[in-house]
Amino acid sequence: MASIASLRHVSIGQYIAMGSVVHRLDPRGKLICFGLLIIATVAATTYTSNVLLLAAVLGLVLLARLPVGYLLSTVKPAVPVILILALMQLLFYGGSADAALLTLSWGPIHIVVGRDAVRMVVTSLLRFLDLLFLTSLLTNTTTHGELTRGLESVLSPLNALHLPGHELAMIGAIALRFVPILGEQMESILMARESRGVGTGGSSRWRVVRNAQQVAALIVPLFVDAYRRSEEMMLAMQARCYRGGRGRTHLLESAWRLSDALALGLTVLLVASVLALQHLPFH
Amino acid sequence: MSETVVRVAGLRHAYMVGTPMETAALRGAELTVSRGEIAALVGPDGAGKSTLLRFLNALLRPARMGQVTVLGSDAAAPSLDVAALRRRVGLVFQYPHHQLFERYVGDDVAYGARQLGLSAPEVRERVAWAMAAVGLDLDAFKDRATFSLSGGEMRRAALAGVLAMKPELLLLDEATTGLDPGGRSELHTLLRRLRDLEGMTVVLASNDMDEVAELADSVTVLQGGRTVAAGPVRDVFYSADGLQAVGLTQPSTVGIVGALRERGFALPGEPLTLAEVEEGIWRALPA
Repeated sequence: MASIASLRHVSIGQYIAMGSVVHRLDPRGKLICFGLLIIATVAATTYTSNVLLLAAVLGLVLLARLPVGYLLSTVKPAVPVILILALMQLLFYGGSADAALLTLSWGPIHIVVGRDAVRMVVTSLLRFLDLLFLTSLLTNTTTHGELTRGLESVLSPLNALHLPGHELAMIGAIALRFVPILGEQMESILMARESRGVGTGGSSRWRVVRNAQQVAALIVPLFVDAYRRSEEMMLAMQARCYRGGRGRTHLLESAWRLSDALALGLTVLLVASVLALQHLPFH
Repeated sequence: MSETVVRVAGLRHAYMVGTPMETAALRGAELTVSRGEIAALVGPDGAGKSTLLRFLNALLRPARMGQVTVLGSDAAAPSLDVAALRRRVGLVFQYPHHQLFERYVGDDVAYGARQLGLSAPEVRERVAWAMAAVGLDLDAFKDRATFSLSGGEMRRAALAGVLAMKPELLLLDEATTGLDPGGRSELHTLLRRLRDLEGMTVVLASNDMDEVAELADSVTVLQGGRTVAAGPVRDVFYSADGLQAVGLTQPSTVGIVGALRERGFALPGEPLTLAEVEEGIWRALPA
């Protein structure tokens, strides 16, 4: 049962109303800051820049009053994969022999664990945390409506290129909305199977094979349901006269305030310092 | 005294504990069900009916507080053989499309029976029996894709999949939603037959008071996760501080009886079904 309950713990895409400063920021500004911070995360490869970035992101999470423990607990199912990836990086990153911390030789196989490999592993883990926190920050503090509006206006320059900015924003917002829905759907299918006695009988030797089969068997109903849901959603939107972005106005208009400008300014400053730290002579 | 098959006492449960979305679903639910009866579970939306049913199937285990005893085993015990219990307790979900996961109707109905480890001919026999019981023609439906069924057909297929396991205790979560009136009365007949011929015990969560009055032997009223009334169906529906207090309507028969008595019509007893009301009216009429 623990496995089923944990599926609900998908924090990404779930709005958590805490009424903090971060919640009240303009969605356009938040999206731009999010993009900038993602760029910084991708670029940060040194210890110093990562420490600065993670500290800043954690500060933001606390400022948004999101429960850090809960966000971290959502990573739990991915921990084995992350550990295996880290181990692979550590062993096979390679690097020059003079920076080696450890050299393993076994017949014709030589494995060099260098300083670069260790740095790579540590920074990768930190950046993974950054990404998790950033994505949660955006989706947990912004309602879907706000997110759609924000995306739409951030993407509006695309209209000049005859690209459908509004439609892209709508698709993005709906995709995010589907993350928790698919989680719940998967949970209910698992429950239906469990309630009819899955995993009883049979020898334990083939359990791995059977588990793999069971997961594969989940995918078909899950996708069928997702398709049907999106079809119903399409009908519901058409029934209420949705015709795309042209001529559509919003019930709520975002107003750009001083706090938004401040947030953007601070983010630019942060990203600039992270990038600057990248080019310091010491790591 | 008949044997008690379900005893729930002081059960509390909350969903998503430890997250910002935590919500309490049960706050001290009580339920007692005797063998061979149809027990109804009524209550407004969000009263905790579905959650309580999931406990009886050991899909949820008591985590916080309370006792759940199902078919003589303590559903809270860590040593409980969950699979063995589920083989004896069948749960039909509120939304049938959540329950059907195989590609073809025949496979889906057979799924639970196969999990019991029955031989192929036995499984086939069970499937034929279950599909006939719910009124789905075996040859016409066994190779239909589950996702091409209509709402009512899905409802029947989901029920057949559980019946094919021949559970001792059958749990139905709003099982008549999506059925037409004919299908609804067919289902009522089927449930009575399962009780009388197979000795099955049925727990039925429902919002339809007429259905409960027609079908159930006992009724438990939930509100806000708490049991607020329980007893034989006649006692609960005819008690003064009954259902309106928790936002539920009376069965229409009880309303009719009340209206007739107000107009001075001396109707005897406490009739619950339409047939009983009719009989009462005939008896009260001067010959």
